[in-house]
Amino acid sequence: MKYSFYPGCSMEATAQANLKSIEAVAGALDLHLEEIPDWNCCGATVASGVVGDFTQQVMTARNLAIAEPKGYDVVVGCSSCYLSLAVTNKRFKEDEHFKALANEALAAGGLKYDGSLRVRQFLEVVINDAGFDRVKEKVKRPLTGLKVAGYVGCQTVRAIPYEFDDPEYPVQMDKLMEALGATAVDFPMKARCCGSSNAIAATDIVVDSALKIFQSAAGGGAQVIVTPCPMCQLNLDAYQQRVNQLHGTNFNIPVLFFTQLMAVAFDLPEDARALNYCIVSPYEALAAYGVGK
Amino acid sequence: MEQKNNQPVKYDLNFAREIYSLENGSYIKQCMQCGMCAISCATREIMDYSPRRLFNLIKLGKKDEVLEANTMWQCTSCCTCKARCPRGIPIIDVMHDLKKYAIQNGYSDDPRAAFYKAFWAEVASRGKVFEGGVTARYYLIRGLDELKKAFAMKDVGLNMLRHKRMPLLPPKKVKGLGNLKKIIRKAQELERKEAGR
Ligand code: SF4
Ligand code: SF4
Repeated sequence: MKYSFYPGCSMEATAQANLKSIEAVAGALDLHLEEIPDWNCCGATVASGVVGDFTQQVMTARNLAIAEPKGYDVVVGCSSCYLSLAVTNKRFKEDEHFKALANEALAAGGLKYDGSLRVRQFLEVVINDAGFDRVKEKVKRPLTGLKVAGYVGCQTVRAIPYEFDDPEYPVQMDKLMEALGATAVDFPMKARCCGSSNAIAATDIVVDSALKIFQSAAGGGAQVIVTPCPMCQLNLDAYQQRVNQLHGTNFNIPVLFFTQLMAVAFDLPEDARALNYCIVSPYEALAAYGVGK
Repeated sequence: MEQKNNQPVKYDLNFAREIYSLENGSYIKQCMQCGMCAISCATREIMDYSPRRLFNLIKLGKKDEVLEANTMWQCTSCCTCKARCPRGIPIIDVMHDLKKYAIQNGYSDDPRAAFYKAFWAEVASRGKVFEGGVTARYYLIRGLDELKKAFAMKDVGLNMLRHKRMPLLPPKKVKGLGNLKKIIRKAQELERKEAGR
């Protein structure tokens, strides 16, 4: 199966581990990702707070317009990019007036988007196109005994509610972790917000959100947290020490992209696991599964 | 935030009309004040007003209360309310409109307003976001005091550097940046025309 791939800005910067592990896992599962040429920023949820939804969505649509001639499904590996691309795509399909106006703007750059593509998250593609059985076949080092908190985050399941999972209590990523042999722990905060882009301008929001999420994950006995979202990953990983300093807690829970844990279970090379990008060290928790520093 | 109850009630109906004319503004009229958004919101406890109360203040034309409130800036775009609102109001998108309107009308004391402006300046200049660039622009807008606060966070930054999470060089600019800028300019022009309809 072939796909057009939209990496998004974070994969070139704070979330290189996401890119490396997604590419490797996709390769192992015969999912062929072709990067959308010369893609641009989707605007995340921030641009529309300055220039409005329409302009932000048109900017996002430039990527869809470039991808359209190939006709492949567009795969996204970032929850915030997914929100932008999927919601924009939906508007092209459902709102003729919007579509005409947006195409008028795109035409200024010599582009046009007809709304024919499907926008999907990599997590959903792994689950529905590769499937749990294929995943199980690829597992070389079952993660038996590893307790995982599946932190889905907020936008992954709520950008388009019920698209592939329950927006209130998602279960699909847990099932994927179980296909790897791991145990998904009970984790009530799994779809709670991490504080998103407030890390710089309102750090307290991120620290407070992270505290609650760690308490919930630790309450279930989690040894690692996995997530599909680069913002969640960064906030929980980079601010864990800060949470401990401010709240006198002692959390030491590595936070991985779900694809990194898949790379471990598939026994892919170190470059694919990309564990050296983790700030909270994952080596102790994963020592039993062939992972050494 | 205290409502100024001892003052004569001022209804600025022009304000309500202006807000309704924003991209997602007319949805506000559909709000039935049920409170689902308030109990769902991730950051409700630190908002001056819940989305429900804010929408009510808009209906009442309370311009300053609305635009000085931190509500839209505390919104993290988590989509919980949007998924749950029984009236199908895209509350997160209304919050985007309110942020934009606040900035345009000079209500941008909230640090997030500076962050948003910095983020957009970055996107507009290279077609991609570079965290280093956003951060630098943010502190330029907010000034030295904010930078001192940031010093308390230096461990976070150092940890990120050590684990290759904070590239010091920006990514390559989008090749079609010229065309992207034309597209954005045209979109803004069309959006203004639509709002005037
Ligand atoms: S959930 Fe929707 S209808 Fe209910 S108060 Fe909030 S915005 Fe209004
Ligand atoms: S999208 Fe914003 S207003 Fe809605 S629940 Fe999340 S933080 Fe609250």
